[in-house]
Amino acid sequence: MSFDTALRLSEILLGWAILQASLEHLRMPHMPPPLFMLRAALAVLLIFGVAPHLVLPSLFITSLALLHRFQGPYNGGADKMGLLILTCLTSARLAPTLAWAELSLGYLAVQLILSYFISGQIKIVNAEWRSGRALADVFAYSAYPVSEDLRAISQRPYFTWAASWAVMAFEVIFPLTFLWFSTLAIALIIAACFHLSNAIFFGLNRFFWTWLAAYPALIWLQNRLIGL
Amino acid sequence: MFRSFVRATGWFPAARFNQILTITLLSGAVLDAIRNIFGLLLPALIPSWRFFKAVQPSPRIEWRFPDQNLNKDAQWQPFRPRPSHLSWATILRRLFWNPDWNDALYMDTCAERLTAHPTDQLQQEILARLFSDLPPKSHATALQFRLKFIDRADGLLQDHVTFISDIHPIPGNTT
Repeated sequence: MSFDTALRLSEILLGWAILQASLEHLRMPHMPPPLFMLRAALAVLLIFGVAPHLVLPSLFITSLALLHRFQGPYNGGADKMGLLILTCLTSARLAPTLAWAELSLGYLAVQLILSYFISGQIKIVNAEWRSGRALADVFAYSAYPVSEDLRAISQRPYFTWAASWAVMAFEVIFPLTFLWFSTLAIALIIAACFHLSNAIFFGLNRFFWTWLAAYPALIWLQNRLIGL
Repeated sequence: MFRSFVRATGWFPAARFNQILTITLLSGAVLDAIRNIFGLLLPALIPSWRFFKAVQPSPRIEWRFPDQNLNKDAQWQPFRPRPSHLSWATILRRLFWNPDWNDALYMDTCAERLTAHPTDQLQQEILARLFSDLPPKSHATALQFRLKFIDRADGLLQDHVTFISDIHPIPGNTT
Protein backbone atom coordinates (compact mmCIF):
# COMPACT_ATOMS: atom_id res chain seq x y z
CA MET A 1 0.00 0.00 0.00
CA SER A 2 1.41 3.39 -0.98
CA PHE A 3 1.79 6.26 1.49
CA ASP A 4 -0.88 8.33 -0.27
CA THR A 5 -3.35 5.45 -0.30
CA ALA A 6 -2.78 4.71 3.39
CA LEU A 7 -3.18 8.36 4.33
CA ARG A 8 -6.35 8.69 2.29
CA LEU A 9 -7.86 5.45 3.64
CA SER A 10 -7.12 6.49 7.21
CA GLU A 11 -8.75 9.86 6.57
CA ILE A 12 -11.90 8.22 5.22
CA LEU A 13 -12.14 5.78 8.14
CA LEU A 14 -11.42 8.48 10.73
CA GLY A 15 -13.94 10.77 9.03
CA TRP A 16 -16.58 8.05 9.39
CA ALA A 17 -15.66 7.46 13.06
CA ILE A 18 -15.92 11.19 13.84
CA LEU A 19 -19.16 11.55 11.86
CA GLN A 20 -20.71 8.57 13.67
CA ALA A 21 -19.70 9.91 17.10
CA SER A 22 -20.80 13.48 16.27
CA LEU A 23 -24.26 12.33 15.17
CA GLU A 24 -24.59 10.37 18.41
CA HIS A 25 -23.64 13.48 20.39
CA LEU A 26 -26.18 15.59 18.51
CA ARG A 27 -28.90 13.19 19.66
CA MET A 28 -28.06 13.87 23.33
CA PRO A 29 -29.61 16.93 25.03
CA HIS A 30 -26.59 17.89 27.16
CA MET A 31 -24.09 18.51 24.38
CA PRO A 32 -23.07 21.73 22.62
CA PRO A 33 -24.84 21.26 19.22
CA PRO A 34 -22.84 23.85 17.18
CA LEU A 35 -19.55 22.14 17.97
CA PHE A 36 -20.81 18.70 16.98
CA MET A 37 -22.55 20.04 13.87
CA LEU A 38 -19.23 21.60 12.87
CA ARG A 39 -17.39 18.33 13.52
CA ALA A 40 -19.97 16.36 11.53
CA ALA A 41 -19.60 18.76 8.60
CA LEU A 42 -15.80 18.61 8.76
CA ALA A 43 -15.94 14.80 8.95
CA VAL A 44 -18.02 14.68 5.75
CA LEU A 45 -15.47 16.94 4.03
CA LEU A 46 -12.69 14.64 5.25
CA ILE A 47 -14.44 11.54 3.91
CA PHE A 48 -14.74 13.16 0.48
CA GLY A 49 -11.17 14.44 0.57
CA VAL A 50 -12.06 18.15 0.41
CA ALA A 51 -9.10 20.30 1.54
CA PRO A 52 -7.76 17.82 4.10
CA HIS A 53 -4.84 20.16 4.94
CA LEU A 54 -7.47 22.60 6.31
CA VAL A 55 -10.08 20.13 7.53
CA LEU A 56 -7.69 18.04 9.65
CA PRO A 57 -6.32 21.00 11.70
CA SER A 58 -9.89 22.28 12.13
CA LEU A 59 -10.96 18.89 13.49
CA PHE A 60 -7.92 18.91 15.75
CA ILE A 61 -8.92 22.29 17.21
CA THR A 62 -12.49 21.08 17.82
CA SER A 63 -11.05 17.99 19.53
CA LEU A 64 -9.11 20.24 21.90
CA ALA A 65 -12.33 22.14 22.61
CA LEU A 66 -14.03 18.84 23.47
CA LEU A 67 -11.14 17.80 25.71
CA HIS A 68 -11.59 21.08 27.56
CA ARG A 69 -15.41 20.75 27.67
CA PHE A 70 -15.38 17.25 29.15
CA GLN A 71 -12.10 17.76 31.07
CA GLY A 72 -10.68 14.67 29.40
CA PRO A 73 -11.86 12.15 26.83
CA TYR A 74 -15.65 11.60 26.71
CA ASN A 75 -15.29 8.06 25.48
CA GLY A 76 -12.05 6.96 27.14
CA GLY A 77 -9.62 5.01 24.99
CA ALA A 78 -11.63 5.46 21.78
CA ASP A 79 -11.37 9.24 22.02
CA LYS A 80 -7.67 9.03 22.90
CA MET A 81 -6.97 6.83 19.88
CA GLY A 82 -9.10 9.11 17.69
CA LEU A 83 -7.10 12.11 18.82
CA LEU A 84 -3.81 10.29 18.21
CA ILE A 85 -4.87 9.33 14.67
CA LEU A 86 -6.09 12.86 14.02
CA THR A 87 -2.82 14.36 15.25
CA CYS A 88 -0.71 11.99 13.13
CA LEU A 89 -2.81 12.55 9.99
CA THR A 90 -2.72 16.32 10.53
CA SER A 91 1.05 16.40 10.93
CA ALA A 92 1.43 14.08 7.93
CA ARG A 93 -0.64 16.47 5.79
CA LEU A 94 1.16 19.58 7.05
CA ALA A 95 4.67 18.09 7.08
CA PRO A 96 7.21 20.11 5.06
CA THR A 97 8.84 17.01 3.56
CA LEU A 98 7.80 13.46 2.72
CA ALA A 99 10.20 12.12 5.36
CA TRP A 100 8.40 14.03 8.13
CA ALA A 101 5.04 12.91 6.76
CA GLU A 102 6.20 9.29 6.79
CA LEU A 103 7.46 9.71 10.32
CA SER A 104 3.99 10.87 11.42
CA LEU A 105 2.22 7.89 9.89
CA GLY A 106 4.97 5.59 11.14
CA TYR A 107 4.43 6.85 14.69
CA LEU A 108 0.74 6.01 14.40
CA ALA A 109 1.58 2.50 13.18
CA VAL A 110 3.98 1.92 16.08
CA GLN A 111 1.38 3.15 18.58
CA LEU A 112 -1.15 0.76 17.07
CA ILE A 113 1.23 -2.16 17.64
CA LEU A 114 1.87 -0.95 21.20
CA SER A 115 -1.87 -0.60 21.86
CA TYR A 116 -2.23 -4.36 21.48
CA PHE A 117 1.13 -5.47 22.88
CA ILE A 118 1.12 -3.39 26.09
CA SER A 119 -2.49 -4.18 26.95
CA GLY A 120 -1.67 -7.89 26.46
CA GLN A 121 1.59 -7.69 28.40
CA ILE A 122 0.04 -6.01 31.47
CA LYS A 123 -2.68 -8.66 31.55
CA ILE A 124 -0.40 -11.66 31.16
CA VAL A 125 1.70 -10.68 34.19
CA ASN A 126 -1.47 -10.49 36.30
CA ALA A 127 -2.44 -13.80 37.98
CA GLU A 128 -6.13 -12.82 37.96
CA TRP A 129 -6.08 -12.48 34.19
CA ARG A 130 -4.16 -15.74 33.73
CA SER A 131 -6.73 -17.62 35.82
CA GLY A 132 -9.66 -16.09 33.93
CA ARG A 133 -10.94 -14.49 37.13
CA ALA A 134 -10.43 -10.92 35.89
CA LEU A 135 -12.57 -11.46 32.78
CA ALA A 136 -15.18 -13.24 34.92
CA ASP A 137 -15.28 -10.14 37.13
CA VAL A 138 -15.67 -7.88 34.09
CA PHE A 139 -18.84 -9.82 33.30
CA ALA A 140 -19.89 -10.19 36.95
CA TYR A 141 -19.88 -6.61 38.17
CA SER A 142 -18.26 -4.13 35.82
CA ALA A 143 -20.37 -1.45 34.15
CA TYR A 144 -19.62 -2.82 30.67
CA PRO A 145 -21.92 -5.80 29.90
CA VAL A 146 -24.75 -4.41 27.76
CA SER A 147 -27.46 -6.61 29.28
CA GLU A 148 -28.03 -8.38 32.59
CA ASP A 149 -28.14 -11.84 31.00
CA LEU A 150 -24.49 -11.44 29.93
CA ARG A 151 -23.52 -11.46 33.61
CA ALA A 152 -24.17 -15.21 33.59
CA ILE A 153 -20.96 -15.62 31.54
CA SER A 154 -19.06 -14.94 34.78
CA GLN A 155 -20.32 -18.34 35.98
CA ARG A 156 -18.60 -20.17 33.10
CA PRO A 157 -14.96 -20.37 34.26
CA TYR A 158 -13.72 -22.45 31.30
CA PHE A 159 -15.07 -19.91 28.87
CA THR A 160 -13.58 -16.89 30.68
CA TRP A 161 -10.23 -18.72 31.09
CA ALA A 162 -10.08 -19.63 27.38
CA ALA A 163 -11.22 -16.18 26.26
CA SER A 164 -8.66 -14.48 28.54
CA TRP A 165 -5.80 -16.55 27.15
CA ALA A 166 -6.98 -16.06 23.57
CA VAL A 167 -6.99 -12.28 24.02
CA MET A 168 -3.68 -12.13 25.95
CA ALA A 169 -1.85 -14.46 23.55
CA PHE A 170 -3.11 -12.58 20.51
CA GLU A 171 -2.17 -9.18 21.93
CA VAL A 172 1.32 -10.26 23.00
CA ILE A 173 2.06 -12.02 19.70
CA PHE A 174 0.69 -9.16 17.62
CA PRO A 175 4.07 -7.38 16.99
CA LEU A 176 5.49 -10.57 15.44
CA THR A 177 2.75 -10.60 12.80
CA PHE A 178 4.30 -7.39 11.45
CA LEU A 179 7.12 -9.42 9.87
CA TRP A 180 5.00 -10.77 7.00
CA PHE A 181 2.15 -9.11 5.18
CA SER A 182 0.03 -12.27 5.18
CA THR A 183 0.28 -12.71 8.97
CA LEU A 184 -0.35 -9.02 9.53
CA ALA A 185 -3.47 -9.16 7.35
CA ILE A 186 -4.78 -12.14 9.34
CA ALA A 187 -3.89 -10.42 12.64
CA LEU A 188 -5.74 -7.26 11.65
CA ILE A 189 -8.84 -9.28 10.73
CA ILE A 190 -8.68 -11.03 14.12
CA ALA A 191 -8.13 -7.67 15.85
CA ALA A 192 -11.16 -6.20 14.08
CA CYS A 193 -13.21 -9.22 15.24
CA PHE A 194 -11.91 -8.60 18.78
CA HIS A 195 -13.15 -5.00 18.66
CA LEU A 196 -16.41 -6.23 17.17
CA SER A 197 -16.88 -8.62 20.09
CA ASN A 198 -16.20 -5.74 22.50
CA ALA A 199 -18.92 -3.77 20.72
CA ILE A 200 -21.32 -6.72 21.03
CA PHE A 201 -20.64 -7.60 24.68
CA PHE A 202 -19.70 -4.21 26.11
CA GLY A 203 -21.27 -1.67 23.72
CA LEU A 204 -17.88 -0.21 22.78
CA ASN A 205 -18.90 0.61 19.21
CA ARG A 206 -16.66 3.68 18.92
CA PHE A 207 -13.53 1.61 19.65
CA PHE A 208 -14.39 -0.57 16.66
CA TRP A 209 -14.63 2.29 14.15
CA THR A 210 -11.72 4.28 15.60
CA TRP A 211 -9.17 1.45 15.71
CA LEU A 212 -10.00 0.48 12.10
CA ALA A 213 -8.89 3.97 11.04
CA ALA A 214 -5.31 3.25 12.16
CA TYR A 215 -4.95 -0.04 10.24
CA PRO A 216 -3.91 1.49 6.87
CA ALA A 217 -0.92 3.14 8.58
CA LEU A 218 0.30 -0.22 9.83
CA ILE A 219 -0.20 -1.94 6.48
CA TRP A 220 1.75 0.89 4.80
CA LEU A 221 4.59 0.70 7.35
CA GLN A 222 4.91 -3.07 6.92
CA ASN A 223 5.14 -2.56 3.17
CA ARG A 224 7.58 0.35 3.58
CA LEU A 225 9.99 -1.39 5.98
CA ILE A 226 9.72 -5.08 5.11
CA GLY A 227 7.50 -5.59 2.10
CA LEU A 228 7.25 -9.37 2.40
CA MET B 1 -9.09 71.81 31.04
CA PHE B 2 -9.89 70.44 34.49
CA ARG B 3 -11.15 67.10 33.09
CA SER B 4 -8.13 66.60 30.90
CA PHE B 5 -5.88 67.40 33.85
CA VAL B 6 -7.65 64.79 35.95
CA ARG B 7 -7.36 62.21 33.16
CA ALA B 8 -3.67 62.85 32.74
CA THR B 9 -2.70 62.80 36.37
CA GLY B 10 -5.45 60.86 38.20
CA TRP B 11 -7.67 58.68 35.98
CA PHE B 12 -5.06 57.65 33.46
CA PRO B 13 -2.79 55.78 35.90
CA ALA B 14 -5.86 54.07 37.41
CA ALA B 15 -7.10 53.02 33.97
CA ARG B 16 -3.62 51.90 33.03
CA PHE B 17 -3.37 49.88 36.23
CA ASN B 18 -6.73 48.22 35.48
CA GLN B 19 -5.59 47.48 31.96
CA ILE B 20 -2.36 45.87 33.15
CA LEU B 21 -4.23 43.91 35.83
CA THR B 22 -6.80 42.69 33.31
CA ILE B 23 -4.12 41.66 30.82
CA THR B 24 -2.17 39.88 33.56
CA LEU B 25 -5.24 38.02 34.81
CA LEU B 26 -6.36 37.15 31.27
CA SER B 27 -2.93 35.94 30.23
CA GLY B 28 -2.80 33.90 33.45
CA ALA B 29 -6.19 32.38 32.65
CA VAL B 30 -5.15 31.69 29.06
CA LEU B 31 -1.91 30.10 30.22
CA ASP B 32 -3.87 27.97 32.70
CA ALA B 33 -6.25 26.88 29.95
CA ILE B 34 -3.34 26.03 27.62
CA ARG B 35 -1.60 24.11 30.39
CA ASN B 36 -4.85 22.29 31.16
CA ILE B 37 -5.49 21.34 27.52
CA PHE B 38 -1.89 20.27 27.01
CA GLY B 39 -2.13 18.11 30.14
CA LEU B 40 -5.26 16.47 28.71
CA LEU B 41 -3.77 16.09 25.22
CA LEU B 42 -0.49 14.52 26.23
CA PRO B 43 -1.95 11.16 27.38
CA ALA B 44 -3.55 10.85 23.94
CA LEU B 45 -0.30 11.54 22.07
CA ILE B 46 1.79 9.26 24.30
CA PRO B 47 -0.80 6.73 25.47
CA SER B 48 -0.12 4.16 28.17
CA TRP B 49 -2.39 1.52 26.54
CA ARG B 50 -2.90 -0.14 29.93
CA PHE B 51 -6.44 -1.29 29.23
CA PHE B 52 -7.94 -3.42 32.01
CA LYS B 53 -4.68 -3.86 33.90
CA ALA B 54 -6.94 -4.91 36.76
CA VAL B 55 -10.70 -4.86 37.22
CA GLN B 56 -11.36 -1.66 39.12
CA PRO B 57 -14.28 -1.03 41.50
CA SER B 58 -17.27 -0.43 39.27
CA PRO B 59 -19.46 2.66 39.75
CA ARG B 60 -23.25 2.77 39.96
CA ILE B 61 -25.26 5.98 40.13
CA GLU B 62 -28.46 5.87 42.19
CA TRP B 63 -31.06 8.57 42.82
CA ARG B 64 -34.12 9.26 44.92
CA PHE B 65 -36.75 11.89 45.68
CA PRO B 66 -35.88 12.83 49.27
CA ASP B 67 -39.12 14.80 49.74
CA GLN B 68 -41.27 11.68 49.35
CA ASN B 69 -41.83 9.13 52.12
CA LEU B 70 -40.74 11.64 54.72
CA ASN B 71 -41.15 9.17 57.56
CA LYS B 72 -38.67 6.70 56.16
CA ASP B 73 -35.76 6.69 53.76
CA ALA B 74 -36.87 7.03 50.18
CA GLN B 75 -35.75 4.14 48.02
CA TRP B 76 -32.63 4.61 45.94
CA GLN B 77 -33.28 3.88 42.25
CA PRO B 78 -30.62 2.76 39.76
CA PHE B 79 -29.86 5.37 37.11
CA ARG B 80 -30.40 4.03 33.57
CA PRO B 81 -30.49 0.32 34.53
CA ARG B 82 -29.28 -1.98 31.75
CA PRO B 83 -31.87 -4.17 29.99
CA SER B 84 -32.16 -7.82 30.96
CA HIS B 85 -31.68 -8.92 27.35
CA LEU B 86 -30.77 -7.41 23.97
CA SER B 87 -31.82 -8.87 20.62
CA TRP B 88 -29.23 -9.39 17.90
CA ALA B 89 -30.98 -6.75 15.82
CA THR B 90 -30.48 -4.21 18.63
CA ILE B 91 -26.85 -5.25 19.07
CA LEU B 92 -26.25 -4.78 15.34
CA ARG B 93 -27.99 -1.41 15.36
CA ARG B 94 -25.88 -0.31 18.34
CA LEU B 95 -22.72 -0.89 16.32
CA PHE B 96 -23.77 2.17 14.30
CA TRP B 97 -26.00 4.05 16.75
CA ASN B 98 -25.34 3.83 20.48
CA PRO B 99 -25.63 7.33 22.00
CA ASP B 100 -27.38 6.38 25.25
CA TRP B 101 -24.89 3.65 26.11
CA ASN B 102 -21.90 5.86 25.34
CA ASP B 103 -23.40 8.58 27.52
CA ALA B 104 -23.90 6.00 30.29
CA LEU B 105 -20.20 5.11 30.02
CA TYR B 106 -19.38 8.82 30.29
CA MET B 107 -21.52 8.97 33.45
CA ASP B 108 -19.40 6.14 34.89
CA THR B 109 -16.30 8.18 34.07
CA CYS B 110 -17.86 11.19 35.83
CA ALA B 111 -18.66 9.01 38.86
CA GLU B 112 -15.03 7.84 39.04
CA ARG B 113 -13.72 11.40 38.67
CA LEU B 114 -16.23 12.74 41.20
CA THR B 115 -15.09 10.18 43.76
CA ALA B 116 -11.43 11.01 43.17
CA HIS B 117 -11.70 14.80 42.84
CA PRO B 118 -15.18 16.23 43.51
CA THR B 119 -16.03 19.27 41.38
CA ASP B 120 -19.25 21.17 40.81
CA GLN B 121 -18.98 20.60 37.04
CA LEU B 122 -18.99 16.82 37.47
CA GLN B 123 -22.03 17.00 39.75
CA GLN B 124 -23.82 19.18 37.21
CA GLU B 125 -23.04 16.67 34.42
CA ILE B 126 -24.74 13.91 36.41
CA LEU B 127 -27.60 16.09 37.64
CA ALA B 128 -28.40 17.28 34.11
CA ARG B 129 -28.93 13.66 33.01
CA LEU B 130 -30.92 12.79 36.13
CA PHE B 131 -33.26 15.76 35.62
CA SER B 132 -33.80 15.00 31.94
CA ASP B 133 -34.52 11.30 32.67
CA LEU B 134 -37.18 12.04 35.30
CA PRO B 135 -40.57 10.38 34.85
CA PRO B 136 -42.77 12.78 32.82
CA LYS B 137 -45.49 13.16 35.49
CA SER B 138 -43.14 13.46 38.43
CA HIS B 139 -44.30 16.01 41.02
CA ALA B 140 -41.22 15.71 43.19
CA THR B 141 -39.55 18.99 43.96
CA ALA B 142 -36.08 17.78 44.82
CA LEU B 143 -33.64 15.05 43.90
CA GLN B 144 -30.57 13.49 45.44
CA PHE B 145 -28.03 11.05 44.02
CA ARG B 146 -25.31 8.84 45.37
CA LEU B 147 -22.36 6.92 43.96
CA LYS B 148 -21.89 3.28 44.83
CA PHE B 149 -18.86 1.23 43.86
CA ILE B 150 -18.98 -2.55 43.54
CA ASP B 151 -15.78 -4.50 44.10
CA ARG B 152 -14.63 -8.00 44.95
CA ALA B 153 -13.12 -8.37 48.43
CA ASP B 154 -12.19 -11.70 49.99
CA GLY B 155 -13.94 -13.45 47.11
CA LEU B 156 -17.26 -11.70 47.68
CA LEU B 157 -18.88 -8.81 45.83
CA GLN B 158 -19.28 -5.81 48.09
CA ASP B 159 -20.50 -2.29 47.54
CA HIS B 160 -19.40 0.95 49.10
CA VAL B 161 -21.14 4.31 48.92
CA THR B 162 -18.48 6.90 48.16
CA PHE B 163 -20.53 10.03 47.60
CA ILE B 164 -23.97 11.35 48.54
CA SER B 165 -25.00 14.57 46.90
CA ASP B 166 -26.82 17.47 48.47
CA ILE B 167 -30.56 17.68 47.89
CA HIS B 168 -31.06 19.57 44.63
CA PRO B 169 -34.30 21.31 43.65
CA ILE B 170 -35.74 20.01 40.38
CA PRO B 171 -35.94 22.85 37.84
CA GLY B 172 -39.56 23.62 36.97
CA ASN B 173 -41.01 21.49 39.80
CA THR B 174 -40.09 23.70 42.73
CA THR B 175 -42.92 25.63 44.37
